Amino acid sequence: MSSPSTESIAAAIATAITVVLRDTGRDHKAVEPSLLLAGDLGLDSLDLAQTIVLLERSLGVDPFRTAPPSVPRTSIRTVSDLIGIYSTALIPHPS
Amino acid sequence: MIPSAQATAISHLADAAVHDRLASAISLVARECPNRIAIVAGAGSESRHTIDYASLATAIASLEQQFDAARPIGIVARANRVESLVVIAAACGRQHVPLALLADDSRDLVGELRDWTGLDDSLALPTGLVPASGHEFATVPPHLVVATSGTSGPPKLVEHSWDSLLAAARLSEQWHALAWLLVYDATRWAGTQVWMQAMLTGGKLVVPASRDPDCVARAIAEEGVTILPSTPTLLRRLITSGDRAILEKAQLDRITLGGEAADALLLEQAHRFFGQAKITQVYATTELGEVFRVTDGQAGFPSAWLGRTLPGGVKLSMRRDGELLVQLSRDTAEVATGDLIERCGDRYLFSGRRSDVIVVGGAKVFPRRVEEILRGVPGIVESRVYGLPSAITGELVAAEIVLADPLPASATPESVRSESLAACRSGLEPHSVPRVLDIVKKIFTTPAGKASRRPTPE
Repeated sequence: MSSPSTESIAAAIATAITVVLRDTGRDHKAVEPSLLLAGDLGLDSLDLAQTIVLLERSLGVDPFRTAPPSVPRTSIRTVSDLIGIYSTALIPHPS
Repeated sequence: MIPSAQATAISHLADAAVHDRLASAISLVARECPNRIAIVAGAGSESRHTIDYASLATAIASLEQQFDAARPIGIVARANRVESLVVIAAACGRQHVPLALLADDSRDLVGELRDWTGLDDSLALPTGLVPASGHEFATVPPHLVVATSGTSGPPKLVEHSWDSLLAAARLSEQWHALAWLLVYDATRWAGTQVWMQAMLTGGKLVVPASRDPDCVARAIAEEGVTILPSTPTLLRRLITSGDRAILEKAQLDRITLGGEAADALLLEQAHRFFGQAKITQVYATTELGEVFRVTDGQAGFPSAWLGRTLPGGVKLSMRRDGELLVQLSRDTAEVATGDLIERCGDRYLFSGRRSDVIVVGGAKVFPRRVEEILRGVPGIVESRVYGLPSAITGELVAAEIVLADPLPASATPESVRSESLAACRSGLEPHSVPRVLDIVKKIFTTPAGKASRRPTPE
């Protein structure tokens, strides 16, 4: 299977967050990489947990539960941080 | 009808040694009415065939002769056909051969019984069997071994006596020659109770070819089933998905629910659907056997039962954390059941198994409450709620729903989905609202016919 591009990962993340907002009865917002997950989009830890489950289904990986845990959790503040984590997990690096 | 002399004889089976009862009852009916149908196998399908009492009695006698020739230490029943299990149990009982009834998913536990002899549908003991001398046992071997259903963990072997296996059997004349449906796995506790009861009382045991609701409905209607023992999950599936035109021909006198708690909505649906049938809820566990029955058609049990000794000697109490405790009699120990109860007016309702509780960010979620809210949404016929592991919150509430077919006018799958989330948001704490909600064709059930509280296996 060919690995997804950063663009397709970003699109999957935007879709997942949109579903979370819709499922919890909140307004849809355009999900931009620069937005703060908590501050701008209003996502709490449950929302983030749901987003990760939805992404596991669409992207086939949960980088927060793979061993060894390679994700520095404190750094997840923006949509762009999430894109970075999934890109690291899904896009092979030359090294 | 059973001739009255024979009816009297069956009623007096209770005086016979408990090991002998099954074989004696079958021989008795075989003598009086040899052609009476004992078992309808493959009911509701083209593979339907019947076994009469005379054939059962002959097979039992033949197996007993084999035991005379070479006595095994114990028998592990590996038969797939119910009629074979009946023959093996009856012969083992009368010949005092210890017997293990193991379902497919517990057969790897057989290592604990490695000296015992396996017996399959051929009902032929292996040749060259070394007879047990009878002096090899340091202790008396258990007479019966069954496996738990494994609802709340891996199945485990539980030792029983014929006394406990037959404790709930009803031998009086009103129970004679009835038609029983067996939807349970015949090797599990609930299943053994059904076929033993039927075979002890000259009854007809109707075994549907599958658990498909239409097949079960046909078996009930075509074979004239009068008694339906079922789990709430299987009954719900039958009522919501079974062919209405066939089910309307059902002549049920009694529905006996067990294995998991029934909710008020299901009891009401069952009452509306099978108006003439009496609905009994049996509370039993593999370890304790039957504890009590509720016959008033309401969910849970009367709050007055708690802390008092019930007729029969059972005492119910509740631990501080809400777990139901059972003391079977004054000289037995109090046992924690793993079932959580909560008071609601003059009833105690079951809120779920302790092991089913989902912990989301440290807060408890009772799957049953969420399932009941989902089932109350128009357009939803079945629901199942379970925990999904999450690195962020420990677990997350996930749900599956089965849609009504056809859906109510103007409803779409998407509208039912958003309505059910809205219903959960208004009726539940935020952490209890399902975060994953899938529309499925069928609810995943355990082999014991209960709703599973685990993610669906891939």
